[in-house]
Amino acid sequence: MAKKGKDWLTYKGKIELEYEWSMGKAGHRFFTEIRDNKRIMGTKCRKCGRILVPPRIFCEECFIDDMEWVLLPSTGRLVAFGDCYFSITGEQLKDPWMLGLVKIDEADGGLLHYLDGCRPEDVKIGMPVEIVFKEKREGNIMDISHFKPIMD
Amino acid sequence: MNRKVAIIGVGMQKFEFRKQETVEEMIFDVARNALEDSGLSKDEIEAVVFGSAVDALCGISNNDKVAIEASGGLFKPTMHNRTSGSTAISSPIFAYTHVASGMYDIVMCVNYEKMSEPPSAQGVFSTVYDEIYVRPIGLNVPIQCSLEARDYLAKYGITERQMAKVSVKNRNNALSNPYAQLPMKITVEDVMRSPYVSWPVKLMDTSPVTDGARALIFASEDVARQLTDDPVWVKGVGTGSDSQYFMGRKNNRLARLDYAYYAGNLAYEMAGIRNPAHEIDYAEVYDPFTYKEMQHCEAMQLCPEGGAGRMIDEGISLKDGPLPVNASGGLQGEGNPIGAGMSRLCWCYLQIKGQAGACQVPKEVNHTVANGWGGMYQYNAVMVLGRD
Repeated sequence: MAKKGKDWLTYKGKIELEYEWSMGKAGHRFFTEIRDNKRIMGTKCRKCGRILVPPRIFCEECFIDDMEWVLLPSTGRLVAFGDCYFSITGEQLKDPWMLGLVKIDEADGGLLHYLDGCRPEDVKIGMPVEIVFKEKREGNIMDISHFKPIMD
Repeated sequence: MNRKVAIIGVGMQKFEFRKQETVEEMIFDVARNALEDSGLSKDEIEAVVFGSAVDALCGISNNDKVAIEASGGLFKPTMHNRTSGSTAISSPIFAYTHVASGMYDIVMCVNYEKMSEPPSAQGVFSTVYDEIYVRPIGLNVPIQCSLEARDYLAKYGITERQMAKVSVKNRNNALSNPYAQLPMKITVEDVMRSPYVSWPVKLMDTSPVTDGARALIFASEDVARQLTDDPVWVKGVGTGSDSQYFMGRKNNRLARLDYAYYAGNLAYEMAGIRNPAHEIDYAEVYDPFTYKEMQHCEAMQLCPEGGAGRMIDEGISLKDGPLPVNASGGLQGEGNPIGAGMSRLCWCYLQIKGQAGACQVPKEVNHTVANGWGGMYQYNAVMVLGRD
């Protein structure tokens, strides 16, 4: 068996593919509201009353599509957060970038996005946050700039 | 009623960062080793199940076609399964069900992964995430783990030092494993001093990028009894899957792996095991990160919920402890070729057979459990092996 190294011939290739993913029925409405009105919407199951964020056209528990759109606040509570000391491209960082998993107020679910405007040591699970929208919006998840902690 | 199914052969090979063999050559190596171990010829294998987690890791779509001839599967029924990292155990479960159903008597399962050939395995993993709500943000595996591990430590009071002890144990155990990629004699301080990847996960809490394969042969009771006086039976299997929208789950605490408890319960119920901590003699749990071994020890009920810190502090999971876990070195010490994490199950088999060599634990091993984990906090697959 060969040891580590490059003794044998190799062939260098590349796979480059571009996609255009459909947002679907639920995603279309959700991101249109964010883009046009800076509003967070969820879908509420008319049977069990759960409010889904991310929204879906069906309730996976009741397994029905009897859903209605409901307006939700742009605030929530931090359920979990992560800080990463490597960039997306793999370089080591002095200051970490952070992600927050946030349960949206009045909803049963939430969103994942950047957590900014605070240091990791100041962040506490359960703390209230608000969604900061970008000024220029295109109708996708990056229309949200980040979650910002709501300080007392 | 399902038929009884035994494992009758195992094919091992060394795990390495950069194998120069092609995927096909890797597979031929372990398939032939498994045939030799079982004493069967390739023509006696009736069907083959393949398991590899993500095609883009090796850069070949439908890469199971590469495995057809190398596994002895030419002109035989073959199927490929993938459930991210839990492919490690879910593919052998498919091989098991092929035999248990009565459809075939002898089925080979070959799991493989070649991860060293793309510029970054990390870049490939990022294509697994949901394309609308998550991927544009740039989530990666380290920060995925930070979200989960921070909640796990917070909920159960687990410490970074306890995590470090798992790293020390597994890398040290790998010193006895001839197939291991990262055997190391290290201390808790070495782990604590290694740089943070994402809090609380440090470099030495992680597992390496690995190329490697494993093969197992499953057989019906009649075949197994002809070949051996001491068959190792598949006693129980279980799988559990949770929502890809982890942001919207009913249980929004990432700390507790509901889907893993579910999979474990299915497998134990089938195996007739009521008290895993007392009835399981040996475990190989999925440990791509130190805290994952701890979460999985809990979900496999080898210790109480939240008790994995005490388990490692008290030395229970050490090689010479009362319930050894990952005496092979696990994914951290042996290497982590995602689908070929089926090695966890291979080592359970070898421990029961008393063929684990220098990794053999100093106790009688009759019942074992192995699990696999994968996806965006998604999947768990569990298999319990045991003697009559």
